[in-house]
Amino acid sequence: MSETGIVIDGVTKRFGTFTAVDDLHITFADGETACLLGPSGCGKTTLMRMIAGLETPSEGRIIIDGTDVTRMRPRRRNIGMVFQYPVMYPTLTVRENIALPLKRDASLSAAERAKRVDEVLEVIDMAGRAGAFIDELDSGSRQKVAVGRSVARQTKVVLFDEPTTNVEVNAKLTLIRTFKEISRRLRQTAVYVTHDQTEAMTLADKIALMKDGRIIQYDSPATLYRQPSTEFGGWFLGNPGMNFIPVTHTTRGLESPLLAAPVPAPDRLGSGALRVGIRPEQLQAGIEPFEGSVKAEVEDCIVGIAGQLLVRLKVADETVKLKTGKLPGLRNHDTIHVAFPNEHLQLFEDGNRVEERG
Amino acid sequence: MISDRIKNGAYYTLLWAVSLLFFTPVAWIIMSSFKTREEILATPPTVIFTPTLDNYVELFTENQNFVQQLINSVVMSLSAVVIAVLVSFLAAFCFSRFKPKGTNFLMFILLSIRMLPGPAVILPVFLMFANFGWKDRHLPLVLFYAMFSIPFSVWILKGFLDGVSVRFDETGRANGASWFHIIFRVVLPQVKPGLIAAFIFNLIFVWNEFLFNFVIGGVQTQNIPYALAVGTYSDGGLNWTFIAALTSVYILPPMAFIYLFQKYLLAGMTFGTVRGEV
Repeated sequence: MSETGIVIDGVTKRFGTFTAVDDLHITFADGETACLLGPSGCGKTTLMRMIAGLETPSEGRIIIDGTDVTRMRPRRRNIGMVFQYPVMYPTLTVRENIALPLKRDASLSAAERAKRVDEVLEVIDMAGRAGAFIDELDSGSRQKVAVGRSVARQTKVVLFDEPTTNVEVNAKLTLIRTFKEISRRLRQTAVYVTHDQTEAMTLADKIALMKDGRIIQYDSPATLYRQPSTEFGGWFLGNPGMNFIPVTHTTRGLESPLLAAPVPAPDRLGSGALRVGIRPEQLQAGIEPFEGSVKAEVEDCIVGIAGQLLVRLKVADETVKLKTGKLPGLRNHDTIHVAFPNEHLQLFEDGNRVEERG
Repeated sequence: MISDRIKNGAYYTLLWAVSLLFFTPVAWIIMSSFKTREEILATPPTVIFTPTLDNYVELFTENQNFVQQLINSVVMSLSAVVIAVLVSFLAAFCFSRFKPKGTNFLMFILLSIRMLPGPAVILPVFLMFANFGWKDRHLPLVLFYAMFSIPFSVWILKGFLDGVSVRFDETGRANGASWFHIIFRVVLPQVKPGLIAAFIFNLIFVWNEFLFNFVIGGVQTQNIPYALAVGTYSDGGLNWTFIAALTSVYILPPMAFIYLFQKYLLAGMTFGTVRGEV
């Protein structure tokens, strides 16, 4: 095993009869930031806790930089971890809190320690408040210090367990910027658990989308967004998620009352249920009919960020979501026209993506 | 408004009266320790008198054993309680964090040991001490007292430790801290009220312990309760000057202790259920 990074090799974790993590195989590459993304209870936190050593896998192995750490105690694993709730020594200053874990490392001289702490303080942008006590800081800054403390040891791996959950919105953005800066500067292997897709999209080199203890897809954020491998991925990512329209496979191609013309079908198709997916922002819409459009009735209309309209449409008995900035003044029960551009349609068979469409 | 004030006033007067009534015996014995033998037994009791330190001087200088007994009491209670609290803290930490199989049952057993009346075990304990040659030796007696104090302390401390979130442990463990560091530097400071409460409860128990000291102790290990029980009749009748002076010295340390740490004592009596958010 000369592979670097973190290798999860067939790891399963059961709590009683409940399987939290189910036979996972995944490699988090050296120096990359990987996000574990998924709904609550999908096993992402359990997986992270197993990497940290706070839980022991029921089956399988965890290998960090070629060393099997499955049964190793947390402190021997060369990891740092940031939790949801920052836990600090309230009687120590910011600087002392960051410096404390470094004292364990006898190979560091006092000068080196100080240098590292200074470096970390600068990265987390807290140099000006190094002498402050933890009680004087707001939750966002506390979390920053927690991050600083975890990265200061320059461990091989840094784990983040939903670190922004308990931080207010503005501080959250600063914090995310700090994470970005840290991963850019320190190049530690990072695993970041979140249920916030924006966070995952911003931070991750690669996102592992999880559901029911399994990894659905492990790809770069852009790929994950553009080409979800499953309907679940399309639905989970994006705000709102993908539209899915049932289609039937005929000799003319894929047909649906929603599509003005049949769509060419790929060569090989099974006999499973077929649906095409399209993102709400990829729909074309207009007040007047246009080429390839079908009639739609507005059911509900919400004004979103930056004048974006979020519209729920009724098209031939299917409910479709549309995101557009072009149609101001829409009201419920208005009639508009929408088209589903061919190039944006993605075909799914039984929930799984069908590749190489014709 | 005025009737309210009167009501309140009457209420507090009553409370004070009851408190003072309960305090009378203590006041009487302390006052008596400054009186001569005749004044103590005078009817009606003398309230105005010229205080004398004779009783104390006699106690400390003429009573050969007293100083040794006082030292025994102080040293044995403190060391027994320190050992007990330390062991209990580690045991409670284990119960609270690792939840070994049968934790609830073990906790029940622990408490039931505490329910056992001393006289019920005195015979086997005496035989054990006699046969092992532990009788009248300080260390075995200290350990015995510690053993007797541990169950209750584990109970108190487990309540407190359950109130300290595992977040603290996990943050430490995942960031390179040793168990030693987590237990003593991260968790211990947060259960200080519990430690102090356990300390005081046990201190009171060991300080007041007579039966076991009488049976498995000896000349070397006599404590103050023993001195009080034995010395009371030493000159034929009740030696009131001795009793008064000795009792005054005897109740002073625990009283001072409790006065200093009374807020923790209250926290301990609620078994750690009253605690701040962590």
